Amino acid sequence: MTRTPRGSGVLWLGALVVIALALPLVVTSRFYTDIFIRVLLFAFIGVAWNLMGGYAKQLSLGHAAYFGLGAYTSTILQIKFGVSPWIGMFAGGGVAMLASLPIGAVCFRLRGPYFAISTIAMAQVLMLLFLKFRDFAWGAEGTTIPNLGNSPLMMQFDAKAAYYYIALALLAAALAITWWIERSWMGYYLVAVGEDEDAAAAIGVNVPKIKRHIYLISAFLTALAGTFYIQYIYFIDPNTAFSFNISVEAALVSIVGGIGTLWGPVLGTVLLEVTSALLQSWLGSGLGGVQLTVYALILMGVILWRPTGLIGVLTDAYDRLVNAGPAPAREASLDG
Amino acid sequence: MLTTVAQAVVNGLLIGGIYALVSIGVTLIFGVVKVVNFAQGEFVMIGMYISYFLASRFGIDPLASLVVSMPVLFVVGVLLQHFLIRRVLGLGDMPQIFLTFALSLLMMNVALMLFTADYRTVQTGYTDLAIHLGPIYIAVAKLIAFVVAMVLSAVLWVFLHTTDLGRAMRAAAQNQDVAMLMGINPDRVFCVALGVALALAGAAGSLLMPFYPAYPMVGQVFVLMAFAAVVLGTLGNITGALIAGLMMGVAESLGIQFVGADSGLIVVFLMFLVTLIIRPNGLFGGWAR
Repeated sequence: MTRTPRGSGVLWLGALVVIALALPLVVTSRFYTDIFIRVLLFAFIGVAWNLMGGYAKQLSLGHAAYFGLGAYTSTILQIKFGVSPWIGMFAGGGVAMLASLPIGAVCFRLRGPYFAISTIAMAQVLMLLFLKFRDFAWGAEGTTIPNLGNSPLMMQFDAKAAYYYIALALLAAALAITWWIERSWMGYYLVAVGEDEDAAAAIGVNVPKIKRHIYLISAFLTALAGTFYIQYIYFIDPNTAFSFNISVEAALVSIVGGIGTLWGPVLGTVLLEVTSALLQSWLGSGLGGVQLTVYALILMGVILWRPTGLIGVLTDAYDRLVNAGPAPAREASLDG
Repeated sequence: MLTTVAQAVVNGLLIGGIYALVSIGVTLIFGVVKVVNFAQGEFVMIGMYISYFLASRFGIDPLASLVVSMPVLFVVGVLLQHFLIRRVLGLGDMPQIFLTFALSLLMMNVALMLFTADYRTVQTGYTDLAIHLGPIYIAVAKLIAFVVAMVLSAVLWVFLHTTDLGRAMRAAAQNQDVAMLMGINPDRVFCVALGVALALAGAAGSLLMPFYPAYPMVGQVFVLMAFAAVVLGTLGNITGALIAGLMMGVAESLGIQFVGADSGLIVVFLMFLVTLIIRPNGLFGGWAR
């Protein structure tokens, strides 16, 4: 959890909000706006993942399942029933929550690495099912979203800035939810489960219930991202909607930024997406594999040298600046 | 009908031998070092590329290149344990999962940069040969792969049960603290476990090469299959992994035969998930984790 002093914290937050709101007014290039939207979207997915993966340490590698369910629910509702994606988005969230119950019932039987693997299997099964169901969801070819021009009620806009503000609102909401959970009884229960499930159960935490609840929230938020992303790129197919890369990136941004912290996923996304954009402008799109190679190296570096992530680096630097030395016996923001 | 089923079962068993080799490696590492190696499939990929380059540059038969791929990957395994995995032992799930996961990501993408995404195949004298047993057709390359895989598994079993080092590994798997008290050096045992597991993955790669294309992401197929088999066969149980690996091959093959060409994985994953629901500890009891 962030430990900046109260007063300066509010100032920082205010400055950040002003910058975030003003950014599309200052930077109008479509190229940069696209990068900002990607940053906001993946930060949002990371924050959603981090609620479960970071605080409760249920390291899912299958969040693409909910991203895809959200994306497909709103798209099917829109194309087959003419329902606005604004409604479809929340319907998708509902579907994801419903799906998280049986999926959680199965996967939570396993712990640690095997929990992670079982979530991969779940997301893969869903992707394979959508690849098979041709008449129901367009099969492997996928479909384009009909372009209605500027149609805010159908979540379609001419101006990229509109997408920016939607993504920003999603991220702000997810951060607010995380902030609130961090300070509620639920936050303490989650951290207890994350530190030691058996010990948490022994002191009376209803571990299955708390896991189920956080999974519901995390799945719901991830599904919203799915709808937004498909509306943004105007195309859906199983390989996009259930892409393993979504699951990976959700976990990656959180770990690189600082797992189990409010701002970790945001910092991690900024670092990774900026790196990726730089690589792309240097190398063009010619050399496949470079981006993920760099991601993998960053991830390894974080795990081997800085398990607290970027946020750990920054708080250490802050302490050194302010206190001229590491703070004595500062409570660690991460176990281990 | 019966012939179709028998044919599917035979095909499944043959490829299941390869799944078994990969699964045994995963379960060996998990049993001894208590780490799940997400990169195990990528070492199969390395084994394949070693055999591919030896075959295409020097005309060496992929089966003969076993004597290169296995020792090379044994050394890689020892180095991997010594320089990377050792540093995250005892640090909890997150570093352990994501270190090998990052390694897998790294290896796939470096392979993509070095070798491109092209499928590489090796044509051998026996690639298209087949034996006919009545109505059943057995591809020679797959049969050889299966037989060698079973021989290697048997050798591993003998090693674990009759040699001092093998007994030390089993002791460390059962109770590390007591094993250390008995004078077993855990670092050495862990290094050997990683080395043996990766050598098996390399062997799987070389055995696959006569009938299976090599490409950078090829390991994903095998690792997902192996994870399912390892859970089904009870974590850490080597005989369990062997049997479950063969079962996975048969399940996949029956799925392809009766549900559709792209359904093999669905059947395997469903089997995996059903196992989790009814027997989360796997078919062979043992400890839960």
